[in-house]
This record gives sequence, structure tokens and C-alpha cells, in this order.
Amino acid sequence: MARIPTAELSRYLFAGQIGHRGCLRASRIRIAPTSSSLQTRQFASHVESQAPTATTVPPTPLRKQLKEQAKALKASGQKKKKKVDNQTVPGWELTVGIEIHAQLNTARKLFSPAANSFNDDPNSHVALFDVAMPGSQPVFQPETLIPAVRAALALNCEIQRVSRFDRKHYFHWDQPSGYQITQYYEPFAKDGKLELLARDGIAAEDGESITVGIKQVQMEQDTAKTTAQPGEVQWLDFNRVGVPLIEIITLPEIHHPATAAAFVRKVQVMLNAVDACVSGMEAGGLRADVNVSVRRTDDKCGTLGTRTEIKNLSSFKAVEDAIIAERDRQIAVLESGGVVEGETRGWAIGSTETRRLRGKEGEVDYRYMPDPDLGPVVIDLPLVQYLASSSGLAPDAETDQLIEDYGLTAKDAISLMALDDGARVQYFYNVLDALEQKLGSASVDTIAVDRGLSTLAANWCLHELGKLTELSNNLGMTHKGECKVPSADLAALLYHLHRKEITAKVAKELLWAIFRGEISQGGVTEAIEANDLWFHELSEKEYSDLADQVVEGEDKVLGEFLRFAEGKGKAYPQGKLMFLVGKVMRAGPEQRMDPASVERVVRARIDEVYIPGLKSKE
Amino acid sequence: MLARPRLRALCLRNARHTLPAQSQRRQINHFVSQNPPTADQPPPSQPQTTFTLAVKDNITTVSPLPTTTCASPFLASHASPFQATIVTQLQSFGAQLVAKTNLDEFGMGSHSTHSAHGPVAQSLGGSPYSAGGSSGGSAVAVANEEVDLALGTDTGGSVRLPAAYCGVVGYKPSYGMLSRHGVVPYANSLDTVGLLARTVGRIRELVVERGLWKVWDGRDPTSLGEATRRRCAEGREGCNGEKGRGLEGVRLGLPVEYNIEELEGRVKDAWVEAAGRLEERGAKVVPVSLPTTRHALSAYYVIALAEASSNLAKYDGVSRGQGFGEEVKRRILLGSYTLSSEAMDNYFLKAQAVRRLVRRDFDRVFRLENPLQDEQEVFDLSEMSDDIPMESKLGPAEVDFLLCPTAPTLAPKLEDVMSGQGVLDAYMNDVFTVPASLAGLPAVSVPMPVEGEERMAGLQLIGQYWDDAKLLGVAEAVSEVLRGTK
Repeated sequence: MARIPTAELSRYLFAGQIGHRGCLRASRIRIAPTSSSLQTRQFASHVESQAPTATTVPPTPLRKQLKEQAKALKASGQKKKKKVDNQTVPGWELTVGIEIHAQLNTARKLFSPAANSFNDDPNSHVALFDVAMPGSQPVFQPETLIPAVRAALALNCEIQRVSRFDRKHYFHWDQPSGYQITQYYEPFAKDGKLELLARDGIAAEDGESITVGIKQVQMEQDTAKTTAQPGEVQWLDFNRVGVPLIEIITLPEIHHPATAAAFVRKVQVMLNAVDACVSGMEAGGLRADVNVSVRRTDDKCGTLGTRTEIKNLSSFKAVEDAIIAERDRQIAVLESGGVVEGETRGWAIGSTETRRLRGKEGEVDYRYMPDPDLGPVVIDLPLVQYLASSSGLAPDAETDQLIEDYGLTAKDAISLMALDDGARVQYFYNVLDALEQKLGSASVDTIAVDRGLSTLAANWCLHELGKLTELSNNLGMTHKGECKVPSADLAALLYHLHRKEITAKVAKELLWAIFRGEISQGGVTEAIEANDLWFHELSEKEYSDLADQVVEGEDKVLGEFLRFAEGKGKAYPQGKLMFLVGKVMRAGPEQRMDPASVERVVRARIDEVYIPGLKSKE
Repeated sequence: MLARPRLRALCLRNARHTLPAQSQRRQINHFVSQNPPTADQPPPSQPQTTFTLAVKDNITTVSPLPTTTCASPFLASHASPFQATIVTQLQSFGAQLVAKTNLDEFGMGSHSTHSAHGPVAQSLGGSPYSAGGSSGGSAVAVANEEVDLALGTDTGGSVRLPAAYCGVVGYKPSYGMLSRHGVVPYANSLDTVGLLARTVGRIRELVVERGLWKVWDGRDPTSLGEATRRRCAEGREGCNGEKGRGLEGVRLGLPVEYNIEELEGRVKDAWVEAAGRLEERGAKVVPVSLPTTRHALSAYYVIALAEASSNLAKYDGVSRGQGFGEEVKRRILLGSYTLSSEAMDNYFLKAQAVRRLVRRDFDRVFRLENPLQDEQEVFDLSEMSDDIPMESKLGPAEVDFLLCPTAPTLAPKLEDVMSGQGVLDAYMNDVFTVPASLAGLPAVSVPMPVEGEERMAGLQLIGQYWDDAKLLGVAEAVSEVLRGTK
């Protein structure tokens, strides 16, 4: 709705006059396509862009967008600066605040008993209140507090005993009542904080750790889902209208783009860990808006620069890239003597700069008002205490455990925790348990983990499983940690691999076969047997013969080993060794060879046979 | 647009109370839709019809009258998929729904003239007069004896004012007592379902004796919970239908601040006269002070219109410039303005502060405590009018009920209302009714005869929160005394 200048309203109110171009005419809803086909989730904040200045982009497929981005980059002749080196700009300080919307994991909507569904038939879970039927009223569903409070506790917030709901007014087709119910004046959680560690991917400039303050967490309603159809047609699914969300608002305490992305990633992990959230950023269950400002580092006045808001960022990469682009834009404006306008900007996936959506003059006055139908929400301490005590291991502690006890790298541990909204790590535990059982090594003392097994399982759960989904296949991972590759089957596969009964190559092929459903559940061993995929390894003699054959004429390479043996070379020529191993592998029957065995045999032959041979030649 | 309802020949049923000039009263455009009473055979599933009912057309019904238009072009053909709780409750008591009544669009108005169906009027001595608003259609239906009971909604006086103008009884319950589920909201924090009848007794029977006051409705978040209802009822008399002692020993307060410039002389005289007669019957009448009264009206309009502008935001299916009447547009604009970020602090928040003060004024003068307040109010004598005598060292007398006119004037002529009586004058009609609405208190308007006038005025009784049972009991006694005076 176009905003009526206050002066005009005052004139009307005091003199009963209003211009012909008054708000009633301007309030005609403009139906315009939105850029929502990629991420069909449109959070309330998104629709603010419908002021006349709004830029509505016709939907473009993601892949096309990425391609176009690559093309544009190439054409511009610019080399993309590595992000690691782009965390600061000398002479300038960046300040970022973040707002995250997350869909709560609840059975019902926030103010109606209609089911909170995810992929059900459109418009199949709609109560009268959800579509603003005249005379219907909101009925707060107290159980929605459970995931909300859990989330706020995970973010170390103080849960407020009394909180209230307010109406935020704006017109859009995805909001039948003309307002969204949110918690503006008195949110249910305040004053939280989240510690980010170096391993979470914060900028190197932030050192080992940084703590980001959280101003408040509030509950609010989601909007209906809009799906763009050809020819200016929008389909609306009211299943989503009124679904409970939380909005997490940080203090402006982040100063590096990578840290901002790390913050959003970690919030997602934390919400998953306490089972507060339905899905992650990839699935659209989480979205971020960022507020960006810059000021000169020698600025002594202590106030932040004018900030702009970039709305609806739908990936961690977009958070970091958009902040970098907006920071650089603001610095360029200021350095050329200009002024940064307080405005709302947008970011398209893969672009190199933010674009203006609307300025101050296009801002909607939300006319926040306490909802007169809804009483205060009173959250008693015992509930908070119960939820705090039943929330399980905190993600940071779990990550520590994966690193210290399971021997995983920090990177792998964090990836496991983050993937599939926290289900991947559960899958990993399932696989490892099954593997240990098969090997009979499951010890009563669960703390002692065979690190050889855990790193093997982690490697397959992360990297090999990841390859299956590279071509946009879906693993179908459930929150219980099961997917199209049953954990028991992967464990069977790893059992044989670990015992060197099959090669890694065979194992990888089998993994694809399981994924495609070509091997029935529990049929891994049978399949190996039926196709005779067992690993019939070469004997020591056969390995030695093969090695001898390959080393023929490689005197120059062998010379390196001699130099080392004589103390002339500083380090063992591992590279040369692997060169020889590679040659041996290529020369022999691959399916009967194990690179580790080859390496062992070649190394032994060098020490025991070839070097003495070379010496004798001299 | 809606078709104008056909005027039906008035069929007067056995008039039990023949009011003066009854035969001259004619209905004028008070029904939006009708289902003539079939006194003989109700469907077997329904309880025996014991009374006829008309329902204001901003309260949803499904059968036999399926539309709920709110007198708005927006909802001209709106068939609600559900029925208001209060209608279902009354049907279970044997009510036969015979008509939906005309009103000001969405309940916004004081004369029932701002309607897509055209204005409502009552005919007195052959000329059309204002029926009051916004439940004007309901009041006329009751006055004409076409129905035994009518439902209205009272946000700032919308049941009491038309009751006063039409010479019937209008009752606004404590906020949160009767379910609003199915009532299309005007201003949720003030809206109540109200009842209109020719006698207090009929209303008292339904609300108190048949226990409507006890029923919690989980679909209305502002309906008081059962435990709270029990707590509020502690120390309240007459909740179980027991008859009170009439007027004997009842203390009635006359708010000195209600003696305003706009109060018509005839109405003021009738008020004083009525107070005198009640005193003769054993009531004790004392002056009391409600110092915030002069701010209450402005606070009411700020809050009501802010909520209205929000509630009406949903009607955006077509251009709102075409879909709403002038009065509704005016109120949406005013409400939107007071909520705007620039005006919020000066209007909406101040109005909420005034609202608390209004409630505090009432809590100070009533003998009973307000069960919704944790602490008892401390009396600051300096804020009080000098006209109030002290009863003891502790302060002035505390009272059971307040006694005041329902409206400052008698029903005006319809043509005066239509030909642009100032907007502010129309808003002024609510000056005596909005304080009780702001404080959520029960109030009832009973017909009050006026010397040398055919038109009735309304005499309003206001009680402490949840003192509805005793309020209705005393109002019944008051009503009998007044009836005897003419």
C-alpha cells in the first residue's frame, strides 16, 4: 500500500479533506510475479518489497543463474578475489547484524489447530482463522512453545516470563488477514549469545573464537506459499499460512563476512540439535536478512554508519557474498564523497552486487499494535528448566567428541553435524555401530572408539555418500539417520572393505548399486559372492615380480632413494615412491591389488634390493 | 449491492406490555433477512420454541438465515461457514431465529444510518426518528414486539444507545463473559455481545438463571476461563439466580462529571427525578467522582478505530474505496493514522494510559473490588471533584452501581441525523456509554420516561466487573419503579 504522507492525513483528520490521489485508490493490489520460483518460501519480510519501487524479477532457474554469473564474471575480466583474503578492507570497519527466520517443528499452527504440514496436498490444512474468515479468532497453541523455547535456550537466551503478540500490518496476497501476528514489543526470549569457534569457519581475523550477542527471539506466523505459474498467475498454498516461525535478531557485533556466514550455519546446527526446526537453509526452512554498515577505522565519533538491509538470503554462501558486495559498494560510495542511503536491497544467487529494492520513502509503516484478541503468554520457570535439562548434548560438545574421541578432522566433524539438518551424523553413528557389531569390536566401554573404523565410516558417510548426490539425487535421509543406502548395508560394505575382502573401487561401485536399489536390503555379501567381486590379492611373490618388472630402467628415480639412504637428501622421497607405486598399479591386474600393499612391497624392495643393486653398480 | 429487504406487513403478536403509542410505531428497514416465525411445529431435533430471536447481522448464523452481511457491500453475499456460539447457545434454550437485523456497517455508527441496506429508523408519531446505533435494527425489532429477544453487539454503547432511543432494555455484559466467537469484530478489546428485550427479566433469565454467564468458549481467546469465572464470582450476589433484596440498601452513585454541557435538560431532569424515586424505594443515592471521564471518549475513539483499521485490513479482495461506506473509510483512516509510527506515541499509547485511568476511577468508587486487578487502588483525594462529600476520614462513600443517563439526548429526528449532524456530534452520543466499555464493566440501559415526551430516554446502571447478576437484579427493580412513574 502506498504510504499516505502524514501531512495529508493530518489535513484530512482536522479538515475532513483528502486529495483524490488518496490511499483508497492507491491501495489497489498490484499482482506482480515474484522471484520465488527457486525458493518458494516467501517470508513476511519479503513481501515488503511490493511498494511501487519494488523490483520483481521473473523466476530464473538456479542453474541458469549460476551460469550467467560465471559468464558475467568472465566477461568483466575480473578475477574473483579469494574470499579468505577479502575479510577486511584496510581503513574500514564493517558491522553486520543478522535476522534469521526459522520454521518451528510443531504439529500445529501457531494460532489454529490445523496441522503444520510440509509437503501435503495444497490447501488441505487450513482452519477458518488461517484464511481470516470473518468472526474467527486466533487460539494460541501452547505446544508451539516447546521448540521455540528449546531454540532460544540453545542460543543462551533469557526466556521471558511474560511475552505478548502484536499485529504487523501490510497488504499481500499471502497474508489473508492483512497483518502478521508477531512479537514486536515483548518477545519471549532476549539477551542471548552464541559462541563461534575457529573451526566453525569464522574469519581468521576473529581469532580462536568470537561471541555474537542475540538481541531477541520472537515467535510469529508464516505466510502462505506462493508458486509462480506461467502468465502472471500465482498459486497460493494456505497450508503454510500461520505456521509458527521464530525470528532470531542479533546485535550488530559481527565484523567479517565469513563470520556472518558461520553464524548462520551454526544457528542452523544448534536449532537442528534441539529439534526445533523443520528443515535447513537448503530446503527453505531457514532464511536470513543482514544489516550492513561501514565506517572508517579512525572514526572516533562512535556511531555506526548508515545501514542497509539485504533481505532473503537463502544460503550460507549468499550471506557471505552479499555482505562482501554490499560492504564494497558502501565503501565505494563513501570514498567517492557520496552518502549511503538507508534502504532495502536484494541479492540474487551468484550475482556480484546487491541491488536496490526500495529506499526509505518506499518503506511500509507496519502500524504495530498489540493483538487485542490474544492474551499474554506466560512461560513458567519449571517448563524452561525441564526443556533445558532435556535438550541433549550441545552441538559444540558433540563436535568436540567427534574430533577428540572419534578422531575426525574438525572439518569433517562440522560437516557431519551440519548435513541433512543434523541427520547425517546420526547416520554415521548408525553405520559405525553396525560395523563394530559385525567386527565384534563393540566394546562395553563406548568411549573407546577404534579410530580406524570411525574415520573409515566418517569418510564414507561424508565423501562417498556425498558423491551419490552430486547429480542432484536425493539421499532421502530421515531424521532417524536412515536413507536410500541403509546404514546396515553400508556397514556390511565397510566390513568387507576393512577386512580387505573387497577393494575400494569395488566398494564404491557397490555403493552406487545399493543407492540405485540394485542390491536388495541386506544383500551386500550375496551380491559380492554372486558377482565374484572378492578381492583375490596378489601374493608377495607376485607383487615383488611386478615391482621388479616396473623398476627396470628407473635408475634415475631410484637414485633419489640412494641419496636419501646416504644422508644426502633431506626428506624421504615419498613422491617418487608413489610414482613407482602408481606405475606398478597400472602394470598389474588392478582388481587384485591393494595400493597399500603395493606401497609396502615397493618400499621394501627399494630398501632391500634396488638400493643395494644400485650401490653395487657404482 | 444488496437488494433492499422487502418491507413486510407488520404482524403484531400478542402484546403483553402495551406501550404508549405502540400502534404508531412502525418498522422501518430494520431487517436484513427474515425467516417468519412458524409458531406451530419446530423440527423434532430442536427444543420447543420458547422465544423468538433476531440477530444483528454482524453475528454469524448458518440456518435458517445463511448470510451475514455486516451491512457492508464487501460481505453482501457472505455465507458464513460457521455459526456464532451465542446463537447456538440461545437456540439450545429454544430460541427461534426469525431475522437478521440492520446495523451500521461493521457496527460503526451511532444511528444505524451507515448501512449498505439503507438507514434504520423508528417511527414515532408518524415521523421517522433515529433508532440509535449500531444495533438499531435489533432495538426496533424488540420495540415493535416482532421478537422477544434480539442480539446486538456493544463496543462503546451500540446496544445501550439504541435500547435507550427505542425504549427497550439493552444489556452489555462484562467483557469476556459471553462468547464473541462468530462476532465479526469492530474493536476486539471492547466488543461484547449484548442482549435486547422489553424486560430486564427475560435477559436475566437467560444470562443468570439459565447460566449463560458460566460458559467458557475455547474458540474465543478472550472468553474467561472456567477457573477465572469461579474466582470472579466469589463474593458476587445473585449468581445462582437468587432474588436480591430489590433496592433496599443499594447504593447508587451519580457521577458528577456526567453532568455535561451537552446533556439535554429534559434528560437531566428525568435522571434526577428517577434518582429521587429510587431513593424513595430504599436506595441510597450519593454523588461520586470519575475524574477521567472527560478523556474517556477520545481514548475510546483512538483505541476502537485503531483496532478497527486493523480488523478491516482483511477486506482487500476488491478496491477498498468501493467496498466500504464513508463512515467506515473515515474510521479506517483515523485508526491507521493513530497507529502510524509518528502518531502512535501521542495517540494509541496515551489512549491506553487513559483507559487504565478510567478503569481505576471505577475501581475507586465501587464497593466491590475488581477481581482482575491484583492490587487495590489507592485513593488520591486531590484528583477528585470538590463536589464530593466525604463519608468518613477514609474518603467518600463507595457504591454498588452507578446511575446515569444512557445518552445525553433523546432520539433525534432521522432527517437531522442524515442531513449532516456533525461527525463529532454523532460521536458525542457515546459519551456516557464508552467508560464502561473501556473498563470492560457490565452495564444495562432501562427505559426512562421523560416528562411531557412520547420518546423514552435510557437510564443506565453500571456495575463492578462480573457483578452482572446483581446488576440485572437491581435493574429489574429500577425498571419496575420507572414503569410505574408514567
